[in-house]
Amino acid sequence: MDQPLLTQALDLRAGVEIAHLKKSFGDNHVLKDISMSVKPGSVTALIGPSGSGKSTLLRCVNLLETPDSGTITVGDTTIRAGGALRAAELLALRRQVGMVFQSFNLFPHFTVLRNVAFPQERILGRSKEEAEERALTLLDRVGLKDKANQHPGQCSGGQQQRIAIVRALALNPRAMLFDEPTSALDPEVGVEVLTVMRELADTGMTMIVVTHEMHFARDVSDHLVVMADGRIIEEGDPKRIMSDPRQERTRRFLSAVLDR
Amino acid sequence: MDLAQYLPRLGQGLAVSLQLTVISVVIGYVLGTLLALGVSSRRPWLHWPCLVVVEFGRGIPALVVLYMVYFGLPSFGVLLENFAAAAAGLTFTVAAYSSEMIRGGIASVPKGQREAADALGLAPATTFVRVILPQGLRSSIPALMGLAIMSFQGTSLAYSISVAELMSQAYQVSTITFQYLSVYGVTGLIFAAISVPLTWLSVGVEKRLARGAR
Amino acid sequence: MGNAFIAVLMGLPMTLLVTVVAFAIGAIGGIPIMLGLRLRFAPLALLFRFAVDLIRGIPPIVWLFLIYFGVQIGAVRLSAFTAAVIGLGIISSAYLAEIYRGGYSTLPKGQLEAAHALGLGRATTFLRILTPQAMRTSLPSITTYLMSLIKDSSIASTIGVMDMVFLSNQFARQNPTTSGIVPFFIAALVYLIVSIPVAVLSRRLDARMSRNA
Repeated sequence: MDQPLLTQALDLRAGVEIAHLKKSFGDNHVLKDISMSVKPGSVTALIGPSGSGKSTLLRCVNLLETPDSGTITVGDTTIRAGGALRAAELLALRRQVGMVFQSFNLFPHFTVLRNVAFPQERILGRSKEEAEERALTLLDRVGLKDKANQHPGQCSGGQQQRIAIVRALALNPRAMLFDEPTSALDPEVGVEVLTVMRELADTGMTMIVVTHEMHFARDVSDHLVVMADGRIIEEGDPKRIMSDPRQERTRRFLSAVLDR
Repeated sequence: MDLAQYLPRLGQGLAVSLQLTVISVVIGYVLGTLLALGVSSRRPWLHWPCLVVVEFGRGIPALVVLYMVYFGLPSFGVLLENFAAAAAGLTFTVAAYSSEMIRGGIASVPKGQREAADALGLAPATTFVRVILPQGLRSSIPALMGLAIMSFQGTSLAYSISVAELMSQAYQVSTITFQYLSVYGVTGLIFAAISVPLTWLSVGVEKRLARGAR
Repeated sequence: MGNAFIAVLMGLPMTLLVTVVAFAIGAIGGIPIMLGLRLRFAPLALLFRFAVDLIRGIPPIVWLFLIYFGVQIGAVRLSAFTAAVIGLGIISSAYLAEIYRGGYSTLPKGQLEAAHALGLGRATTFLRILTPQAMRTSLPSITTYLMSLIKDSSIASTIGVMDMVFLSNQFARQNPTTSGIVPFFIAALVYLIVSIPVAVLSRRLDARMSRNA
């Protein structure tokens, strides 16, 4: 790919600040006072054992989960948990952040083209022609222009996930969230998706990625956050942490994961 | 006649309705199981006649079945009193519907069950009666409960062949009191008073069964 | 036998008319009821739930008699046809509302989440993302219901609507020499034949849906 995935100026990228986030599901304290800082344009990988709260944390950023207390700041927008959220605030936050799901969640009753164009029409107010043109451009960048008039059901998992990434990117988000984007894909297929994510990182997009792909975490991310039992147990330079973890828990997790 | 006076008459009608329900459900489900086995069978002389009976029973309005029994049997020399005719007609309809539910339940038993039984060396008949059928019937329970409630409501159709069940009694009372709204309203509520709680019960049973199946 | 055939067939248009009108009323009436069932305000949603259960808990014949005999504006009653389609229409609304609701409840949660994550508003999400998929899922159940409505339309004969069953009855009573079963047998066959196109359509829709899934 010679041209960048996006033509947005880099200074429109937003940073994400999370301060003292707490979240419980009944008796289960999933997030126990999390504070995290994501610099604009950086790639943060969130790793840790199952049940550590990484997905919940990610989903709090765009308020798919509502934290019990704490604050979330995306760019200049700050949301304080605990208070009543107004629909307008919620929409405003979500429209700045794009999300890619483990199960892709493309709309099966729309063609691939409409999946990418429809949100643009509704949210950015683009005309049908504009939206579809932009959609085709983006689909072409990920090599899926010929799938435009097919339905998601006719595409493979890796193709669907790349389309899902494009659907989110078409809205010019200031940050992108990835919730285990390759966990539902075979390893060979996951590579297609990781390549796209790598290119996106190279363009300077702010990214927070929950993943089990340790190679991606080590090679692509600028900042590694290790979570366990609802807390951040270690964070910092990915290469340093992976070769020389300071916490015993991190050591155990990494040896189990990297041994495979 | 006011409400208090005609309520006993409705009560008598309700008793008849309940009798019809019990007869048609008990006999109907047994026949339904046999029909289900017949339709599932691979022997053509069993499969096709049973299939025809089931499709006929499910494809024809219950009212038409009642009329057919009422008008039709005398031509064959069989003289049933109206109650028996209604019971026969309703049983037929229940048998047809229940057979599909039971057949579906049996078919939904995982193939692995048969394979495990075969691997253990159990005879096919034993496997079917002791392993497959119980599980199949268990799956069908929610649907069969719903059908039982439907057949209770269906007894109201026996009005058309002059059986003294609840609907007929309501009609008789209404022609005497002319208070149509209240008489039919009360009748409807009596039906609902039985159907609705039973429906809630069957939903509860369905949830309990789904949980237990894990 | 030929006379019986013609007599019964004369009732077919009315059978179909009652079915179609009642279904139309139900298909449309089911929408507000379904929305009521999905309300987030629990007490109101429960009220709708109770109403639906009540409607379905009363046999159709009782509904029809209730509306036909019980509704009086001044000295005027509803015609048998009107009472029949209103009664069957109300019942259909309740059943179809349940079917519609089922379509929504089986939607994968991810669809709602994706729409939320994109920032699509509530109305857009409901109308353009959830509803098309819910309707597609409900379609087999809706066609099954239509088939049962064709049969239930026969209950209209009890309040004097001149459908196939009514005319069969009339024929049987007016022709005591012919076995009474004949007109009803013919009516039965017609009901079976009429349900075939609907069954074929339903199976074709089923196949098309599984292909696209």
